[in-house]
Amino acid sequence: MANRDYLGEFEHIVLLAVLRLDDQAYGVTVRREIEARTKREVSIGAIYATLDRLEAKGYVQSRAGDPTPERGGRSKRFFRVTSQGVSAVNRTHRALRSLTEGLDLLRSHS
Amino acid sequence: MTQSTHPSRPPWLSTWFVELFAPESQSEPILGDLAEEFSDIASKSGATPACLWYWRQSVKTAFHLAGSAFRVAPWSLVGIVLGGILLRRFSFGLPEWVVVEILHTLRPYSNLHVDAYMWLINYGIPIVHVIVSMLVGCVVAFAAKAREMVATITLSVVLCGLIMAVVVRVATFGLLEVPRVVWSFDDLFAIILGGVIVREIRSALARRLSHT
Repeated sequence: MANRDYLGEFEHIVLLAVLRLDDQAYGVTVRREIEARTKREVSIGAIYATLDRLEAKGYVQSRAGDPTPERGGRSKRFFRVTSQGVSAVNRTHRALRSLTEGLDLLRSHS
Repeated sequence: MTQSTHPSRPPWLSTWFVELFAPESQSEPILGDLAEEFSDIASKSGATPACLWYWRQSVKTAFHLAGSAFRVAPWSLVGIVLGGILLRRFSFGLPEWVVVEILHTLRPYSNLHVDAYMWLINYGIPIVHVIVSMLVGCVVAFAAKAREMVATITLSVVLCGLIMAVVVRVATFGLLEVPRVVWSFDDLFAIILGGVIVREIRSALARRLSHT
């Protein structure tokens, strides 16, 4: 069931990046945000594949922007997180917090 | 290309490669994003790094789009690929039949020179094999709406596996017919070419519809 779903690792990262970017979230900015914060190289294709999956689940919505010359006259596709998406992020965070509760991660790593 | 040159457009071949795999709805924003980043890298670092980046991103993007297309409806794709295998199985003897019928109609020993007869036997059959495989690719691509490339590549990979299994089996008994195996590999590329043709026709029709 959708409202019991937890986010996958990359879905989680993409949703958080879209949330951080607010109304400026499109392929390029989402990719750069993820690379800057996670130091992980990601492809545009991976981001769109994930965003499409999240849109199908109702976690994000998209709208077309205006075409620009540096994009070869092609338009942007802006994304925003829906209330269902925010609930999914919170649900996943709660689950992760619950799982890490009582664990001394710093000590077990040293 | 030198570092100082700043190409205004990304490599067309890699753009075309992404277009083959991207669904119509995603094609414009994805290519726009790639073009925007290409332009940014080209202005900061030069043409060569921008082209290299663009190629790397294009290949990765196509790979992800193919994986995503497979995950959307895997069972329908499996059905289409199985249909393609059956279609190829039933059409496998068609080239020999067509060439024999042509030779029979032309009565080669009376109307044609022996060299022409031999040419039809040696090259006619492989050529018709490639054409039939391309048609199989077209049928499979037509059935796999918006997932033409994934369906035809999957079919080719599965057939490649089957051919390799037969090659290994036959080679162990020392009965390998090399030319026939080479035709079979040509056929695999022809199947993918069929997918490219259908994809290009569909994209052209979609572009024409969006302009009107």
